[in-house]
Amino acid sequence: MSRFQLIFKTYQEKITLTFCIIFSLCLIFNNDSDFIKNSKINSLDTFSFLYQPFNWLDNQLFLNKKLEVLSSENLRLSLENQVLKVHETENIRYREFLNFKKRDDINFIGADVISKGVSANMSSLIINRGLNDGVAENFSVLSSKGVIGKITSVSESSSEVQLISDVNFRLSVKIVPDEVEGILRWIGDDICEIAELKKISDIEIGDIVLTSNLSIFFQPNLPVGEVISIFEKSDSSDRVVKIKLFSDLSTVNQLFVLLDEVEN
Amino acid sequence: MSFYIKYFPVAVVLQLIFSELLTFNGYQANIMLLYVILCSMPLGNTSQSTFYGFLVGLFTDFVLFSGIYVGASSLVFSVCAFWASKISFNFAFRNFDIYWISFVHLGVFIYSLFRYDFFFFNDFFLFLSNWFFVTYFTCFVGFILISLFSLKEKILNA
Repeated sequence: MSRFQLIFKTYQEKITLTFCIIFSLCLIFNNDSDFIKNSKINSLDTFSFLYQPFNWLDNQLFLNKKLEVLSSENLRLSLENQVLKVHETENIRYREFLNFKKRDDINFIGADVISKGVSANMSSLIINRGLNDGVAENFSVLSSKGVIGKITSVSESSSEVQLISDVNFRLSVKIVPDEVEGILRWIGDDICEIAELKKISDIEIGDIVLTSNLSIFFQPNLPVGEVISIFEKSDSSDRVVKIKLFSDLSTVNQLFVLLDEVEN
Repeated sequence: MSFYIKYFPVAVVLQLIFSELLTFNGYQANIMLLYVILCSMPLGNTSQSTFYGFLVGLFTDFVLFSGIYVGASSLVFSVCAFWASKISFNFAFRNFDIYWISFVHLGVFIYSLFRYDFFFFNDFFLFLSNWFFVTYFTCFVGFILISLFSLKEKILNA
């Protein structure tokens, strides 16, 4: 037996473990490479059939509850719509009068969540829409109530969505009616924090948070959440606001991808 | 080896059930980690056990765990499979439960370090809550599964 073989046999266990650790670390530190991203999305595409029975069961289990919620929501929106129609006519007339640019209609596509993955307070999920449906990277993703994330990688028939609950996710938002702009980041559950707000700004609890006009990937005025608390920072001229997201991150099953790319 | 093959489909199905249907406050039990630890214990060949752990980890990273770094599961499972196989002869017989629970703590600890861009450095409280919630939820499910499938007897007699 050669010396090399003898060494390998003596340290076989440690060599195997070292190889596995080094290979895993190489994968971890190359997660942003196109090869890893494509391999991941392709393997999820191939094995998406594994998730289908569980997604179907999940939908069936909560179907009655969802129907109940949708019915009441539908009634509320119908009533609200009547009032808004009156305001819309008035608004269009004023915009034409002031020669404002016409706003484009939002074009979106519905998508089912294939996989939520195993991750406490999910940071990403997979949806069943991809390049074939006109979806591309950085398109914004909404639930029926508001912004929930953006597309980070796309394959032929599925896409990965980076959720607002990812620690790395940042969103440029504004608080209406005062139109104060700040940067939003998730801090836990359905709560986010908006920083870099000027102290002189007039913000109140219950104010609505929308995506701002400064956002690169998100269209302006998409609903995000509602202000629940306001803090003054003693060491700076900034103010910090906590908001509750409109979307419930723990029960997302159907999402919407906005197909129109926002011009930077 | 037979344990790895025999229980693989069961582990995958259970993991899918727990990740899609049975979450607790957003936290999910890590059945695949439990599967790797328990299947490595009766394996005498540590190299083989480490390599199987690594392969199961790769499958898990690419197919089951979408919200985490690719490579994290293969790293965690390789380390846990290595130690579970290496020292099981010394401890597993008398302290079976403490033994696998310790490895669940170790595995989830490494997972938590890598989650959300190394959130040990970003948010220490989130790191601790993630570590303990996932560990205890996994252990709770582990106790039920071990009793249900009589795994203790099967592993110790293998």
